[in-house]
Amino acid sequence: MSIIVENNLKTTENKELFEQKAHYIPCKIEDDGPANVKKYFEPYIEDKNGELSASFRGHPLDGVKIPIPEGYKAIVVTEAKRPLAENAERKFQVAGGFKYFTNWNWNKKPSQNDNIVRAMDWIDISEAIHGD
Amino acid sequence: MTSLSELQDFIRFQDNFKNFLNSSKVPDICKTESCILGVDEAGRGPVLGPMVYGIAYCPVSKTKILNDLGCADSKALTEEKRDDIFCKMLSNEESLNTVGWVAEVISPNYISNSMYRRAKHSLNEVSMNSAIGLIKKAAEDGVNITEVYVDTVGPPEKYQAKLSEIFPNYKITVAKKADSIYPIVSAASIVAKVTRDHALKLWKFKEGLEMTHTEFGSGYPGDPLTKKFIRDQIDNVFGYPLLVRFSWSTAELMLQEKAATCVFEEVDDEGATKKANTKSISSFFAPKTDEGKPRKRHKFFEERFLSVSNPFG
Repeated sequence: MSIIVENNLKTTENKELFEQKAHYIPCKIEDDGPANVKKYFEPYIEDKNGELSASFRGHPLDGVKIPIPEGYKAIVVTEAKRPLAENAERKFQVAGGFKYFTNWNWNKKPSQNDNIVRAMDWIDISEAIHGD
Repeated sequence: MTSLSELQDFIRFQDNFKNFLNSSKVPDICKTESCILGVDEAGRGPVLGPMVYGIAYCPVSKTKILNDLGCADSKALTEEKRDDIFCKMLSNEESLNTVGWVAEVISPNYISNSMYRRAKHSLNEVSMNSAIGLIKKAAEDGVNITEVYVDTVGPPEKYQAKLSEIFPNYKITVAKKADSIYPIVSAASIVAKVTRDHALKLWKFKEGLEMTHTEFGSGYPGDPLTKKFIRDQIDNVFGYPLLVRFSWSTAELMLQEKAATCVFEEVDDEGATKKANTKSISSFFAPKTDEGKPRKRHKFFEERFLSVSNPFG
C-alpha cells in the first residue's frame, strides 16, 4: 500500500489554516468525525497563568498547551474517498495544521511525566541515534 | 439589591458554569445581639440547573419579623408567594434592619465535576461543604451566631455531630423538615428556592442553544419537558450543554444509549487486587511457544505509547 499526501496549500495566503486548535482528550471517544468543539468545549476553557481547566462529559480536565517541537510540523490531512481494496493506493490532502495542541488530563495537573510529554523525548534520542 | 429585577440582573451577569455567592448586607444589630441562623437547600434532585444553598439569620429577640414576613413551610408556599417574601427581604426597612441572608449557587458543572473527580465527591459532601462555608462566611462578616438550625434529607445525627465538631460554640440543631418547624430555616429555604428558580429561568446556554425554561421545564427528572430535553438535546461527542448534571443517572443512561461511547482511564479502586504475575512452575519446562511472536519493544516505548504503526490503517 502506498500513501500519497498532496499539499495544495503550499502557497495559501490563509495562515489561519495552519494555526488551528487541537485538543488531546484523556478519554477514548468511540467515534470518528466532526465535533462541535467551539460550541460545547471552548466556551468553558479557563486560563489561569497557563494552567487551563475545562470540562468534558462532566469530567473535570486540567490542561496545558504544548508546542510542536522545533523542526517538526503538525498537519491535518483529509481523504476524499477511502478505497475499498485493502492494498490500494491512498491519497490524502493537507487540510491545515497546528502550532501547538492542548494536552488535557482528567483531574490531574499536567506534568513532565505525562506520556505525551515523555513521548517527545524520542525526538532527541532518535536524533542522537540516527542523526548525522 | 432592592428588587427581584436586580436579583435577575445579578444572576444574568454571573458565569453560570461556576459557583457564585449572593448576599445581603449584615444588619448592624446582628453584629451585637445573639443571632439564630437557618440553613436550607433548593434544587437537590433536579437533573438540570444549579443547586442553591441559602442561609438566613436574625437576632434571637427579633424572630417575630419572620412571621410578619410570612416565612412558613416553604413547600406550602406558591412560587409567587416566595418571590413576594424575598422581595420584602430585599426592600422592607424593618426586614433589612434585622434579617440577613446569603445564597450560594452551585453550578450543575461543579456538581458533575465533583461527582466525576478521580476521588469522587458525593452530593452530600458538596452540600455539607456549602453549608459549612456559608456559616463560616456569616461568622467572618461579623454575625454574632449562637444557634444554628439546619434542614436535612439524610440522617440528622451524623450531620449534627460533624457540624458541632466544626462549630463547637454554636447550639446546633439538624432536623428533617426543619423548614416547616423553624421560621429561620423557612427564610433560608425561601432565599435558596427563589434564587434557584430565577437561576434556572434565566439560564443562558453558552453553547448557543436558543431555548428557555418553558421548553426544558423544571429540571426534575419526572417533568415531561425535562425528559424531552434530556432525550433530544444530545451532542454525539460532548453529550449535553452544561445546564445538565452529567452525573445524574437519567443523563448517564441516556448518553450510554444515544451518544458516542467515551472511555476514561480507570481509577484503581482501593483494595482491588492486582492480578498475580507469577508464572506457574510448570511453564518453565513447557516447550517454547513464543518463537513466532514479534519482538517485544523496549519499556521506553511502551511507557510513552510509542509504536510503529500506520495511522492511516
